[in-house]
Amino acid sequence: MNATPALRGVRPRDAGTLTVLARAQWPAEPRTVLPGVPGFIISSFSPLAAELAEQCLRQHFGDPPADAGRGARTAVVLASTTGDMATAAAIASAVDQGRAVPPLLFYQSNPNAVVGHIAARWGLAGPVVCTIPAARGLADAMDSAALLIEGAEADAALVLLADQGGLHGDRGVAMLVGPDGWVPSAGSRGISDE
Amino acid sequence: MPGMADSRTRAPGSVVVTGIGVTSAFGRGTEPLLAAALSGRPAFGQARRFSVERRRAKAAAELAGAPVLAGELAVVIDAACDMAGLRDAERGSATLLLALHTDAAAAREAGASSVTGNAAVAVAERTGLPQAPRVYATACVAASTAIADAAVMIESGRADRVVVAAGYLVDEDSFALFDGGRVLARDGQVRPFSSGRQGLLLGDGVAAVVLESAAVARRRSVDPLVWLAGWGRAGDAYHVCQPCPDGSGLGRAIGAALRRARVDPADIGYVNANGSGTSYADSSEAAALRRSLGPHAGEVPVSSTKSVHGHALEASALLEFVLTVLVVRAGCLPVNAGFLAPDEECRLNLVLGSPRETRCDYALSLNAAFGGASTALLVAAA
Repeated sequence: MNATPALRGVRPRDAGTLTVLARAQWPAEPRTVLPGVPGFIISSFSPLAAELAEQCLRQHFGDPPADAGRGARTAVVLASTTGDMATAAAIASAVDQGRAVPPLLFYQSNPNAVVGHIAARWGLAGPVVCTIPAARGLADAMDSAALLIEGAEADAALVLLADQGGLHGDRGVAMLVGPDGWVPSAGSRGISDE
Repeated sequence: MPGMADSRTRAPGSVVVTGIGVTSAFGRGTEPLLAAALSGRPAFGQARRFSVERRRAKAAAELAGAPVLAGELAVVIDAACDMAGLRDAERGSATLLLALHTDAAAAREAGASSVTGNAAVAVAERTGLPQAPRVYATACVAASTAIADAAVMIESGRADRVVVAAGYLVDEDSFALFDGGRVLARDGQVRPFSSGRQGLLLGDGVAAVVLESAAVARRRSVDPLVWLAGWGRAGDAYHVCQPCPDGSGLGRAIGAALRRARVDPADIGYVNANGSGTSYADSSEAAALRRSLGPHAGEVPVSSTKSVHGHALEASALLEFVLTVLVVRAGCLPVNAGFLAPDEECRLNLVLGSPRETRCDYALSLNAAFGGASTALLVAAA
């Protein structure tokens, strides 16, 4: 078989033209306490990601969910240089003390879970990517989003950086990135559409 | 195979696989894994690394001895790079992407910087590859997500060569966690798509692949093992941990992989299914195959190799991708082990009883995870 030009059957996108459509961060005055998320316990990691997503997406889409056309083409990238340390520690503690691990910890034990919560609430059906960047947290998360958009797997991405604990407590940034002037359209068919 | 002759006139893309390395409960190397998968011989037995006395389920698929993850990752990366014929300079200039599970030691260390601890640093030091820019943590699609990113990096010209490696070794924390979640099979067997299936079982999996630009491999006079003809990723906007019953997310991932490669459903000769053995996930996957492959969903041979090697969590997609590469090259399809009786919601052409010899030009390796994350990797014979 012979090689052919890149991205056969797909028109590559130029992620370099992406625009930040909305942005949020945590901590954010006047809120100082993260709202809880039903079904998620002990750790602040998932509430942090959910709150960042909520504040960011509301700026662009208004009340949830997003319109179906754009929601279907929006990916979610959840990056964390720490990961969910509190959930991991709670599991380890239960094991070391010979206690049963609460079932809810199973459901929140990987970052996909809160992304599932965000995606279901907002109707975001693009790819899901969760990473632990070695450095350059937000920049690396943006790299992940760029790969999805360049590969025509999404038109836009909700990029979340959620870091837990440390001297400064929980911190995070959310950005919705996509094409400039992105508006509801039924015609944004891409590689991930059926 | 309908449409096969036509499909062979199409080039499968520009990303090739030139090296693979793998360690599983069956041992180190590709041969023991392929032999066990073809014969449908599961590796499950009572977990040995820790006590399961207080657990509901007891079984796992463990490599003998006391393997250490960083060391096992170095072994498979070296094996893959050696198979690809990479010189030291070529290894040093490759991009490394890693998919890893939470590290039990880091979970107990007050000053740990991340849940995956220092594994990425240790792997770089042991292998001579640059440190991975990130660890993929997208649960059961972590490694396939890394493969898809690698493919985009190669096709966009960002990288000529990417080494994707992933590893998970069964540990007490994850066993207790999954047991607490009541998703482990108490009967000690994984029975994908079967009536009476009880759930998944954990299994060791450490794997590495070398992905390269076809042009770069050709300049090195290296023959590809297979082509990565297509890939697709999608969510389903449905639930925290359960896939949409209609299979819409995985269906869109499969459709994307086929469209990217311009391959018709009828050209697919084998599907290595996600097939975790859990009730709701298997039926959702069968629905995904029906909606993406149409009538061919009832014809294409399907098996889930998790039925023999177990679920390797963040590494599972790479373990299964490696097996899919081996299967395409062997021309023989692995058995869907543990099958008891048909489930009406999972009507598929399962490979049962004995391995099926066939020429397979295109094969899909499917994975699905919490949060609706779904991936499809399309392998084409070289």
